[in-house]
Amino acid sequence: MKFSVPIFDVKNLNFVVKEQAILSNISLEIFSAEYIAIIGPNGGGKTTLIRMLLGLEKPSSGEVKIYGKKLSDFKEWYKIGYVPQRASHVDSSFPASVLDIVNMGRTSQRKLFTPLSKEDKELVHDAMQKMDIIDLADKMVGTLSGGQRQRVMIARALASKPEILILDEPNTGVDVTSQKKFYALLSKLNKEDGITIVFITHDIGVIADDIARLFTINQKAIICNNPKQTLSCEEMSSLYGIDAHLLHNHKHEH
Amino acid sequence: MFEMFEYDFMQRAFIAGIIIAILASICGTFIVLRRYSLIGETLAHSALLGVAIGLVAEYNPLWMAVIFALLSAWLIEYLRSAFSIYSDAILAILLSGSLALAIIIVSLGGAFNNSLFSYLFGSILSVSSEDIVVISIFGAISLVTLLLFSKEFYFIAYDEEVAKTSGIKVNLLNFLLVSVVAVIIALSIRVVGSLLISALMIIPTIAALQFRVGFLKTVIFSLLIALSSVVAGMTLSYYFSLPSGATIVMCVLLIFILSLIINRK
Repeated sequence: MKFSVPIFDVKNLNFVVKEQAILSNISLEIFSAEYIAIIGPNGGGKTTLIRMLLGLEKPSSGEVKIYGKKLSDFKEWYKIGYVPQRASHVDSSFPASVLDIVNMGRTSQRKLFTPLSKEDKELVHDAMQKMDIIDLADKMVGTLSGGQRQRVMIARALASKPEILILDEPNTGVDVTSQKKFYALLSKLNKEDGITIVFITHDIGVIADDIARLFTINQKAIICNNPKQTLSCEEMSSLYGIDAHLLHNHKHEH
Repeated sequence: MFEMFEYDFMQRAFIAGIIIAILASICGTFIVLRRYSLIGETLAHSALLGVAIGLVAEYNPLWMAVIFALLSAWLIEYLRSAFSIYSDAILAILLSGSLALAIIIVSLGGAFNNSLFSYLFGSILSVSSEDIVVISIFGAISLVTLLLFSKEFYFIAYDEEVAKTSGIKVNLLNFLLVSVVAVIIALSIRVVGSLLISALMIIPTIAALQFRVGFLKTVIFSLLIALSSVVAGMTLSYYFSLPSGATIVMCVLLIFILSLIINRK
């Protein structure tokens, strides 16, 4: 492969809650400029995996390395843009204009005693332009549609100039037309800006053609390096069934 | 109307009241947005425990209030992060625990008198020059801290996890914010009283939120609402011989109701 040090290097990751395995023996790598989709049934552990990559959840065993470093030693968090699942369900009374939210993307890198610099403001403006939300700058987030909010959240992530964007089910509550536009946009960020994209979805049907790799997470991880081929093969579609069956048996044993 | 300023105690009360209005409303914005409104109530009761110890042991009650409110704030943050107890349950436990202990200490020490009463409900007559000095110094430190980290506190209030993953030291800043709140609460109980200070912290922000404006405007609205409530409350309290804390809270409540009416859909 043309890439050297992976952005994320996950080895033998296990996560057990109350003696029930949520994730078993997951090993995977995410390289720079990749375009990866993570799919799997609800409750299969997709979000848990992402939370472990970001250090929001501690694994029961195994190791996560980020840019070759342990999570606790990693300092350059601005390189990671994270858009959580609930991001598009903002509390409508939260006092935030679109600009307030996108400015947050610069907060962790500003120096004390200084307001946002000219460069910060330019980065915020660029991010808003990319997401086509300049016109919405002064609107309150609570008044936006699902699709607009989603673009605001991504603009916030982009404002920190990330090298990787991690999106957890970004399309929840967004209409189909907006979804299509959205995937086109992700693809553009990946191809033109070289940003690594990792996104979770539980809807295989919407996955765009240009996904480079596909991770299927259902307690275990199955990594497909050629998603188009794999999606059409029976092995893939039976994966859901087999694992659902396993889970079913598991419940009866207790 | 300005004859009341001929009295030194009224001048002191106004200075203290205005400082407290500024501090309480600004830190209140972050507390409300973090859904931590009840922390003020709990810290006020912990501050009262400090006052009780101060009265009985004859230390300066204001200093003791600051120390105990701080200890309580740190305990709350520690329990919240180290154990899986609901944060509202932690607040309820510490609130009643502090109050119970304060009452026992005061009754054992035989100090259950007007002095404690004035800390419960606030008393503009009791603000001393030394109180003004303490309120100004700690108030200035608290205000600078709030302004310095306002963008971080705002981000954390909006989404703690995303703030964390963007590299903001969330745990440290959470401790800092509750410490500032503790100090402000302890300073305020002289004027507004421990049973009522939480209202001055929370209600101006909730009233300001009804206008659905951006963050900066919300903070400014909240500040103006707190300031006008304190000034109106103290003036009314002087002319009609009403208790200052309660009058201030009634004023802020009135403004809150007005904000609901103005912004109703």
